[in-house]
Amino acid sequence: MKSLTKWRLTAAAVSLSMVAGPALAEPLFWSTQAKPVEESQKMRDEVMAGFPGGVDYQPSDEGPWLTRMQAELQAGSGRIAVLGGLHGDLSSLGPDLVDLSGIDAAAVGPAMMELGSLGTGEQKYIPWMQATYLMVANRKALEFLPEGADINALTYDQLIDWARATAEATGGPKFGFPAGPQGLKHRFFQGFLLPAYTKSTVTEFRSDAAVTAWETFRELWQYTNPAATNYSFMQEQLVTEEVWIAFDHVARIADAFNQRPDDFVAFPAPAGPEGRAFMPVVAGIAVPRTAPDMEQSMALVQYMLQPETQIATLRATNFFPVIATDLPDDMPASVQAAGPAIAAMTGAPDALPALLPMGLGDKGGQFNQVYTDTFERIILAGQDIRTVLDSQAEVLRALMIEANAPCWAPDAASEGPCPVN
Amino acid sequence: MSVTSVRRAGNRVFIAGVALLILWVLLPIWLLFVNALSAPAEVTGFPKRFIPSFDLASLSFFFGFSGVVDALWNSVKVAALTMILSIGVGAPAGYALSRFDFPGKETFRFLVVMTRAFPLPLLALPLAVMFIRTGLDDTITGLALVHTTLALPFAVLITFSLFSGIPLELEEAAWTLGCTRLQAFTKVILPLAAPGIAASAVFAFVISWNEVFAAAVLTIENRTLTAFLLQSIDVSPLPLKFAGGAALVLPALFFIFAVRKYLFAMWGIANR
Repeated sequence: MKSLTKWRLTAAAVSLSMVAGPALAEPLFWSTQAKPVEESQKMRDEVMAGFPGGVDYQPSDEGPWLTRMQAELQAGSGRIAVLGGLHGDLSSLGPDLVDLSGIDAAAVGPAMMELGSLGTGEQKYIPWMQATYLMVANRKALEFLPEGADINALTYDQLIDWARATAEATGGPKFGFPAGPQGLKHRFFQGFLLPAYTKSTVTEFRSDAAVTAWETFRELWQYTNPAATNYSFMQEQLVTEEVWIAFDHVARIADAFNQRPDDFVAFPAPAGPEGRAFMPVVAGIAVPRTAPDMEQSMALVQYMLQPETQIATLRATNFFPVIATDLPDDMPASVQAAGPAIAAMTGAPDALPALLPMGLGDKGGQFNQVYTDTFERIILAGQDIRTVLDSQAEVLRALMIEANAPCWAPDAASEGPCPVN
Repeated sequence: MSVTSVRRAGNRVFIAGVALLILWVLLPIWLLFVNALSAPAEVTGFPKRFIPSFDLASLSFFFGFSGVVDALWNSVKVAALTMILSIGVGAPAGYALSRFDFPGKETFRFLVVMTRAFPLPLLALPLAVMFIRTGLDDTITGLALVHTTLALPFAVLITFSLFSGIPLELEEAAWTLGCTRLQAFTKVILPLAAPGIAASAVFAFVISWNEVFAAAVLTIENRTLTAFLLQSIDVSPLPLKFAGGAALVLPALFFIFAVRKYLFAMWGIANR
């Protein structure tokens, strides 16, 4: 028995030394993106493989991600060479990010580069990849589509009719919405529902149009699977057919297409009276001032912008390139399905992009909480819409003043903090 | 109603209760392993087969995932070191608390429990800064020290009640028969307390094994399995969630199985 244990330990030690290669010279890519195991595996094996010397790609939850970075900044020395994160993750680190104007990023659109300046004169981060949210339907639901409705140009009212018809035909609510703890529900209210009805995310938060928006959503909620408060990745419920029509982030529906490419369709978000609002999501790469080897970090940032790297990133993460490039034909089913739907949404005549919150710094979480609380009070607790909007508007106003954040699109530009009417 | 039929009914209730408790524990574990051993397509299917199809696609993806073996080994090292440190420091403290009166004893007991009052995300930042400055950052020892702090209160309190449950007279008897204090402890007290100490060691092991936040912040190259996987599992496709769950549960199960003799013995003490 003893010798067996010893043998096992030796075996473990041998396999350990085989797995642990030379790691110290590799730059550490500290990221909040591509966390799912398959995605991070692909990031390491396919995306980062072309960088000379290799890259140590480590995805992490936002909490540890930020804490580790702050610790290195406070200690004044660190291991993290390059940071990867969403706009909101990076914006809280603004002053500690190195100016990246030296990077050749001419291929990236100026509007997106502007996001990366975080309102300063410096290039705090370089856009890395982008995504958005889409609707997905099981093909079985298509027969209940209201007459005359074009799936690529739905309105919220048509969506409700469709969800109702599907619910009546199948005997249960079949609409799905990621309202779980890990779900991205707040983005739906900030970037889709409210702008579609009010052409605003912040300023018109408590307007009459906003009341209509919430009334509409309350109607839709009747045909939403009540288990939605546990949903976080709609691909799971789509595959199990718990829901037939769903809304989620493209990276969170990808698996449904990759598992059963012929069973689902992707289509644009519905339109409201003010237009087809949608939220583009931008992830960026930045270099902290404590990076151990600046030159290497810069080289890695530049490497991430190459067309081949961008396409490999798309394959790995379902986030689309930030540079204009032709996609090869052999992309995964999820990309083939999402691509045209995104094009239809962004290119729609009534398209209304609603950007991610900007200039909130570390208040991003509280900002999201306002929308989540509003949803929970109106929809789950059944409180009066007007009362809830009035009280949440106060919270929102205080937050905007505290953060001193000017308005971002589609809200009209403001002098000073974005007003809440 | 006759006495026998009442007894028979009571028996039935007892058996039903036992069956329910067994199901309560075994059903989730069964689901975990059935799904981990099924082909990815079967995972979303229902009803489940009782015996899985032993498709190793999910599991082999998992163990082929670069760094998993490494992280597993790190987890074992950190957990073992935590176990040794927290028993090495905690058991003497527990013994002192139960056998000696010293000034500030109550305050000391209170302070020991107080260490659990601060949430780790709050402590992690200053700890990480200090670790980076002192060079403890990204080492097994550093992480084990943090985990020891987490496990220590339990180790102290468990061993305290353990030693308190062993009559002082036994020790005194040993002294009268010529034992020194140390001999009395090692020959009389330790054998009696060993099962309990083993149990609190298991507890320390499990605390370290399950800890995520400190591990995620304080390790980079030497990630533990939880830091490496747990943050990724909750956002991974379902089949991988099950495979990862099985991979995380299995070693803890093995460990508890290995020390079960001592655990049962401790319950024996408790029943007496």
